[in-house]
Amino acid sequence: MTGKHTKLTFFLIAIVGFLTVCPVVMLVFGSLSEGLTASGDFTLAKYVAAYSDPALLEVLFNTVVFVVGASISATTLALFLAYLNIRTDIPFKFIFGVISIIPMMIPHILFSVSWVLLLNPSNGILNLLLKELFALENAPFNIYSLPGMILVEGLLDLPIAYLIIAPAMSAFDASLEESSRVCGASTGKTIFRITLPVLRPAILAAFILCVIRGLASFAVPSVIGMPGRIYVLATHLYQMVSTGFAADYGKASAVGMSVLVASIILIYLYRYLTSAGEKFVTIAGRGYKPTIIRLKRSKVPLFLILGILSFVLIVLPVIVLIYISLVPYSMVPSARAFSMMGMKHWIDVLNDPISLLSLKNSLFLGIFGATVGIFLSIFVAYVIVKVRTRSAGILESLSFLSFSFPGIVIGVGFMWFFVRTPLYATIWALLIGYIATYLPYGIRPLSSAFVQIHNHLEESSLVAGASYLTTLRRVVVPLLVPGIISGWVLMATMFFRELSLSVVLSRPGTEVLAVQILRFAEDGLWGRLSALGIMMIAVSALLVILVNYIGNKVRPMVY
Amino acid sequence: MEIQIKGLRKHYASEGRIIKALDDVDLIIPANQIFTLLGPSGCGKTTLLRSIVGLESPDAGEIRIGDEIVYSSGKKIAVPTEKRGLGMVFQTYAIWPHMNVFDNVAYPLQNRKVSKDEIRRRVEETLSLVQLEGFEKRPATNLSGGQQQRVALARALVGKPKVILFDEPLSNLDAKLREETRKELKDFLYELKITAVYVTHDRVEALALSDIIAIMRSGRIIETGSPKKIYFDAESEFVADFIGRANLIKAVIQEQRPEATVVDSAIGRLACRKADFPVGAAVTLCLRPEFISLTRGDHQGTNVIQGNIVTMLFVGDAFEGEIRAGEQLLLARIEPETKLAKDNEVWFQVKPEHCLLVAG
Repeated sequence: MTGKHTKLTFFLIAIVGFLTVCPVVMLVFGSLSEGLTASGDFTLAKYVAAYSDPALLEVLFNTVVFVVGASISATTLALFLAYLNIRTDIPFKFIFGVISIIPMMIPHILFSVSWVLLLNPSNGILNLLLKELFALENAPFNIYSLPGMILVEGLLDLPIAYLIIAPAMSAFDASLEESSRVCGASTGKTIFRITLPVLRPAILAAFILCVIRGLASFAVPSVIGMPGRIYVLATHLYQMVSTGFAADYGKASAVGMSVLVASIILIYLYRYLTSAGEKFVTIAGRGYKPTIIRLKRSKVPLFLILGILSFVLIVLPVIVLIYISLVPYSMVPSARAFSMMGMKHWIDVLNDPISLLSLKNSLFLGIFGATVGIFLSIFVAYVIVKVRTRSAGILESLSFLSFSFPGIVIGVGFMWFFVRTPLYATIWALLIGYIATYLPYGIRPLSSAFVQIHNHLEESSLVAGASYLTTLRRVVVPLLVPGIISGWVLMATMFFRELSLSVVLSRPGTEVLAVQILRFAEDGLWGRLSALGIMMIAVSALLVILVNYIGNKVRPMVY
Repeated sequence: MEIQIKGLRKHYASEGRIIKALDDVDLIIPANQIFTLLGPSGCGKTTLLRSIVGLESPDAGEIRIGDEIVYSSGKKIAVPTEKRGLGMVFQTYAIWPHMNVFDNVAYPLQNRKVSKDEIRRRVEETLSLVQLEGFEKRPATNLSGGQQQRVALARALVGKPKVILFDEPLSNLDAKLREETRKELKDFLYELKITAVYVTHDRVEALALSDIIAIMRSGRIIETGSPKKIYFDAESEFVADFIGRANLIKAVIQEQRPEATVVDSAIGRLACRKADFPVGAAVTLCLRPEFISLTRGDHQGTNVIQGNIVTMLFVGDAFEGEIRAGEQLLLARIEPETKLAKDNEVWFQVKPEHCLLVAG
């Protein structure tokens, strides 16, 4: 048995190692080369060019303000929401579950676009409305600014921060706070002296994860930043590779190196914090309920804030997109606007061969890619959780590495590899890149599914005379079904809306949905963009519902 | 069926140190007896059990179940777990949560090409044996701890195994249920006449359930015997101390009489249970608290000790008293309705057969 496991482990290390190490090595290699086609001649010229660029200083400044600002707002908001949900008697607590899950289904690029449609200075709906109402000369808001970018990115990163902070908050031993109260501290003082310091590892972990995602973020910088000429590292890099005739992949790689190195350092810091956090946060064995704080008079205002937030996060983007897809051009909702509504943009999109191709490509990548990715994840998670040898540890570190991957940088890294293979400009290049970047999202749910399968459940099957394969078929796989489904759904939705890796790897013929949406945004075709975006959300929601339905059907059959 | 174990060895490397989980264990587990492996946690008892069932592969040695060699490092035999035909009850019960009670219990038979009618008949029969008739369709997750334990037992028995193994099966039950289940299990195994190997770290459980107890420590079996032999007549200080509460007192052999061994100890000269030590040897006198009965008045005769009550702690069914006799503090069990109080002067007499001498 051990022999088989060693072979399996090495086989997986080879695959995962290729997926994670290849883009990194190729990025290093690329940053030292003359150009995509001129390999072999090593030069430091690209680094010199990239880091002596006078524009870089401003880009760095923008990046820091954007990333730190968005991370702080996301973490603070998440902390506030987690506290409200877990420690107070605020009504309708199911809203918190919705806030933490649903925004993940709305692609970031569409969320960003909906804010542009609301708050852009020339014809943003909200700006037009305010101008009419108060007879203003100029638009009161300009989304094409650093504060605008921070606002949208902060809201986008909110769910992930919430999902890290909320469990830590509910595992918090309330007696720590109670003893502070006994010692004479007020509620407010207790929060700042006891609650927040004890939760510090979780808060820091959430912050760092937001920073990593902010660094990798492409949707907000491209849709909101670029029209306002505010460049961050991701868009700075995109500019270098996207200007058709003078694409400079070497310089882009040289810039990308610092993004990648920063991300890798941060992800290991995150891992250190979360493992230290498990020791730090007190998880008492006995069942206890944290004391619930009665909100009394502040209940209504707090609930209003929560209501507005969930409206802004979930309902507003979809409404805006539906509205814009039906009216001929951006206008304030009015009787006239409603009378002019029509399906023109929808018909345009359905007659646009590139939009249809991108829908087809994204569907293929979502369904087929997630299936391949989950298949790989099952074996990797099995080795990580159940085999636990030294080489299984290597596998874990390798697979964890891609959590840090900023899509656009990894895309550039893969580009150096793919131009040397027949995979260049094929859909398979995208498939490989997607799996490399999003593998941890498949491994995570499966690891926790494997952890839940106590070794005794397998061992008792062996004692009962079942062979290893029978045990796998009758005990292990049926218990894994929920993990497989949630991993598959997560990967499929990620693949279906992938943007940052695709803007580099996608070529004519391999367009995908998010890239097509970006093209529409660049051309200002908001109506078509909205129609395609609504289709995208609908298909992705349908996919999630369908798979959960099939899962519920299949489960009793397998059992 | 008899189990023979010869020279079984298993070493682990952990944090740079070698841990001897099994240190050349030789053992014969007789057929149709309840055999308990008892020891503190980390003594290797679970490793030994898992080696018998084949979930652990030892480094060296031989295991024979009946006439069949299931493991031998010399002959390069290692029969896989699923071919050993044993039954086992796990500490966590390991009831498969996605199957109902019937499927859980039927599983071992389904792996053996038994006809469907036969399976149904035997599952019903086994479930009624463990008093779970009518539970067939119940989802396994919808059972109490005690019921899960019985399903695990039924699953281990349904295939009529050569040997049934128990890995601390009662440790997940609450105290009251544990006592009831212990009694039921004892009656049950006694009627079945099956070879049972039972692992526990709970001495009361071991004493109550077993025909034979083997005490393990650091990967070795240090003593084997009936519960009474282990309790009253242990050979080593470790075993005497582990199997029950004991006052351990330094003593020196003073004289060997035909009916008793006389020692000089920190609490005076005492006639003890006959033990084979030369005169002058340093030994440990082991005196259990439950055999010290105190009186206020003066005692006549031999083996009388005088002391003072230092503390008395009421624990419900008795007082736990601490008595100072000379320089020695002795733990004594005092009946709950006693008139004795702290600081009283007391006398007690101990019977020679309750004074156990072990190598010290």
